[in-house]
Amino acid sequence: MGLRLLMYLAVILLGAIIGAKAKLGDNLKKRLGSIQTACLLLLLLVMGIMIGMDKDVISSFFSIGYSAIVISIFTVGFSILGVKLVSGYVTGGGRK
Amino acid sequence: MTGKIVGAVVAGVLLGLYVLPVTILEHTDLIIDIGLMLLLFFVGIDIGLNRSVFTRIRSMGLKILLIPLMIITGSIVGGIVGGSLLGMPFNESGAVGAGLGWYTLSSILMANYSNELSTLAFLANVVREMMAFMIIPLVAKRVGFFSSIGPAGATSMDTALPVISKSTDPETAIIAFISGAICTFSVPIIVPLILNL
Repeated sequence: MGLRLLMYLAVILLGAIIGAKAKLGDNLKKRLGSIQTACLLLLLLVMGIMIGMDKDVISSFFSIGYSAIVISIFTVGFSILGVKLVSGYVTGGGRK
Repeated sequence: MTGKIVGAVVAGVLLGLYVLPVTILEHTDLIIDIGLMLLLFFVGIDIGLNRSVFTRIRSMGLKILLIPLMIITGSIVGGIVGGSLLGMPFNESGAVGAGLGWYTLSSILMANYSNELSTLAFLANVVREMMAFMIIPLVAKRVGFFSSIGPAGATSMDTALPVISKSTDPETAIIAFISGAICTFSVPIIVPLILNL
């Protein structure tokens, strides 16, 4: 995991350096959002395919899917609530 | 954005279930790696184009560590509350919540404890990741940018980062990456700790 983390960090840093130093054309800047959306949707489609093909996930979903969904809803809900509670303090009163 | 995300995931699941041959799995890991790297590169460009974010993050200092801390706490408490409705022991449901969306590791960490719990940890954290993709844009819009990091847990440093970046701003994207890295390092420590309570 440590190596993967370093790889992600390196790629983000490379992008940040190019974004800060290189003179990117306005046309490219405008298209960045659309390119990101297209990549993101492709990534999610492939992840969906992997889940759809995973027999263990599909079969266990029908047996313990209800419990998994209940626990997920509460973990997600309490995480959002937890962060909301400290957001104001972290930003020093600003809205985030 | 949420509609497009839900559509892409559902279409993928249906294609995987009914249409595509299993041999495609030989290539999916590579496609995901390339796609993720490309997206993280774009997240980096966004950050580079908005250099002032570093000054703002520096001004927040160590306070930003409260975000992963609250995500970890919220996930464990949420797991316990959800588990109590299902009649589960608090240590088991708390440990499932402490998986923070990292489904492979959390299920492996519980494999020696119970096969059933290990499967539940796997599935609950898969569902959490999928749920995160779908609700992050909505949470960012309605609740707040920082709160949108919450659903992602450990995945806010990789798979969910592009969704957060797209739905918020470069400052939140950097904090999401830091938070995801801290959550990721916490999972192998807190899951066994809670399970053995």
